[in-house]
Amino acid sequence: MFALIKLIQSLFGALHSEGTPGQLAAGIALGSIMGLTRLVNVHNAIVFAAIVLLNVSFAGGLLGWALFVPIGFLLDPLFDWIGHALLFAEPLRAFWTSLYNMPVVPLTNFNNTIVLGSLVFALLFFVPLFGVTRWAVARYRVTVGARVRQSKFYRALMASKVYNVYRTLRP
Amino acid sequence: MTAPNPQSPAPSPRFKIFRWRAIGPLLVLLVIVSVLWWLFADTIARRQSQKIGTQMLGAKVEIQHLHLDLGNGDVTIRGLTIASPHEPFKNLLQADELVADLDVVPLTEKKIIIDRIVANGLRFGTPRETDGRVAAKSGDGIAGRVLAETREWASQFQIPVLQLATGKISIDSLDPRRLSTIPAAEALGARADSSRRSWQAAFDTLRIGPTLDSASATLEKLRRSRATDLATLNEARQAIDRLKRARARVSTLERDITQGAASLQSGLAGLDSARARDYAFARSLLKLPSLDAPEVGSALFAPGAIKPFERVLYWAQLARRYMPPGLFPRATTGPTRVRRAGEDVRFPRERALPRFLLRSAELSFLLRPTSDQPLRYAGRLTGLTSDPALYGRPMVASATGPQLSAGAMLNHLRGIPVDTAGATVAGIRLPAFELPGLPLRLDPGAATMQLGFHLNGDTIHARYAIRSSNVRWERDSGLANTTIGNLIWRTVSGISNLDVEARLSGALHRPQLAVRSNLDQAIASRLRAELGEQAAAAERQMRERVDALVNDKVTPVRARVNEVRSQAEAQVAQQRARLEELLRELTRFRLP
Repeated sequence: MFALIKLIQSLFGALHSEGTPGQLAAGIALGSIMGLTRLVNVHNAIVFAAIVLLNVSFAGGLLGWALFVPIGFLLDPLFDWIGHALLFAEPLRAFWTSLYNMPVVPLTNFNNTIVLGSLVFALLFFVPLFGVTRWAVARYRVTVGARVRQSKFYRALMASKVYNVYRTLRP
Repeated sequence: MTAPNPQSPAPSPRFKIFRWRAIGPLLVLLVIVSVLWWLFADTIARRQSQKIGTQMLGAKVEIQHLHLDLGNGDVTIRGLTIASPHEPFKNLLQADELVADLDVVPLTEKKIIIDRIVANGLRFGTPRETDGRVAAKSGDGIAGRVLAETREWASQFQIPVLQLATGKISIDSLDPRRLSTIPAAEALGARADSSRRSWQAAFDTLRIGPTLDSASATLEKLRRSRATDLATLNEARQAIDRLKRARARVSTLERDITQGAASLQSGLAGLDSARARDYAFARSLLKLPSLDAPEVGSALFAPGAIKPFERVLYWAQLARRYMPPGLFPRATTGPTRVRRAGEDVRFPRERALPRFLLRSAELSFLLRPTSDQPLRYAGRLTGLTSDPALYGRPMVASATGPQLSAGAMLNHLRGIPVDTAGATVAGIRLPAFELPGLPLRLDPGAATMQLGFHLNGDTIHARYAIRSSNVRWERDSGLANTTIGNLIWRTVSGISNLDVEARLSGALHRPQLAVRSNLDQAIASRLRAELGEQAAAAERQMRERVDALVNDKVTPVRARVNEVRSQAEAQVAQQRARLEELLRELTRFRLP
């Protein structure tokens, strides 16, 4: 329940933050990479560093991660299939072999079917997700954003203690 | 200096790509992660080692303490326990301490290269309190699949069962409905009738009679006519043609009858086979004890002899999965995670390091650890690797010591892997076991055990032998008052030596198992001497009962088949003779 409230607060907090739609969309798209792929992996350290260091919405990043974790679980069979197809593709064998025998690269677990499949999917999904999210956030703000901000629900939600904790942490 | 114009539009803030102020918190996070790693690296490595080891071996791997010293490339493991994947409350091995000398640089390629391991205080087959089997219960992963395969392999052997529990020869009631000869005889009788009808119909359609009559008339006419009577000569030629065509038709029918008669004859032979089966069925109702020595040996010792073969095969097959030959990409199930494990694909490359390599291991271990004077042994293992083709040498293991000699070689360098193992352990105390089918318990005492195993591709040759000179027998109370019970007891109780040998050979998917022991001949000859007459009399009686039930049906059918066959053959032969005779007469005349 706490997580759900926090997620809803994050969603509204991000939608009504001072960030541009592009910043929010970039945050969500980067967060989706963490959500779709396995969390404990080298590439996710890089993605996390990008969310922190780049001027994108951190809340959007957390929101994207939280939203796409269950989708990642659901799509694992697809990721497995993609990863298997790529890793056993004959034209790519020399490429994978050289990567596999290179320092550091094997630590990324790229040779796991789920890791590779989910990362490739997340990277391909990044651009459309970014575009759609930016358009949706912009539309939301010009249409119903102001009304939502003045609604009792929004004010009650944002007045809760959890939101205060969140506010102290927001960038 | 000019004052800003309030009417001019406010300059848009310059968009910054980087959030430089976040570097501080990120560095703090990095420091925290580093500190956590420094604090918990040993625990993480210990847990990961347990998890991966358990997944690979199909049995629980437990480590009490693990210390990583990456600076010096040392890994120290204390209190290692590996449970047996086959026995629920037994450990495969325990080790007091293992010190590994690790190459650090290959770790950056996620490759584990261990130059040397020193293992002290190894103990085998120690008891444990909890069930340590994992693959046997879950059936997951490579270990689970290999375990299931080897179990299925072991279950294919047909082990004869000694039926000595009643101690007397009994004849159960023989139900005529369960005899196969009677329905076979009825079916053959029906076939004979059907053949008779069809042959008669075929014979009628030949219409030989008019042809013969016409030819006879022509012949008479020809005898009375002049040699220049062209009309009669033409008629004779046509009669010859008709006779030849009729002869061809008779020949065809004759072939059919010959084939049909042969089929009926094989039906009669089938009745004899069915009767033999009925004799065997009736014999099975007698509950006769097995009297052949090889069957006695298999019945007594095959269940126990298959187990060591099954276990060695499990380890050999596991080694083949984890140490495959060649340099092709190969997939193994990834480590268990909250999300789907997926598959880890390895891409070995020539002249590169293998994924895992243990160059050398020196082992020191104890046998009979619980006795007052445990025996110390030493062993050596070299070339244990995930990519034998890269390492270029087979894995070799050996162990020697008082009353022990063991060695193994896994040669997976070429396309066809060859796995060889052998061990001789003397003075080993084997557990007492019950003899299958006999209420007897055999305690082999201190025995010498030999195991030889050679798996070349898919061809297996293996041998397992136990020798003991001071076996002890225990008698079950259920055997006390039976004839055979007393007989077996008298036979075996005086035998103090045990010499059992099991041999396995042939294609791995269908090998031949042969088990012999010094008890086989003794038990079989004693059984034959005591029970041979009774068994023969009972068998005779059973045969007579089968014959009495079967003969009523078989004898008339046999007579009917012979009658149908001879009748048809005689009919055809008669017509053919008449045809031949007329043809001879007609062709005697010189026709233009």
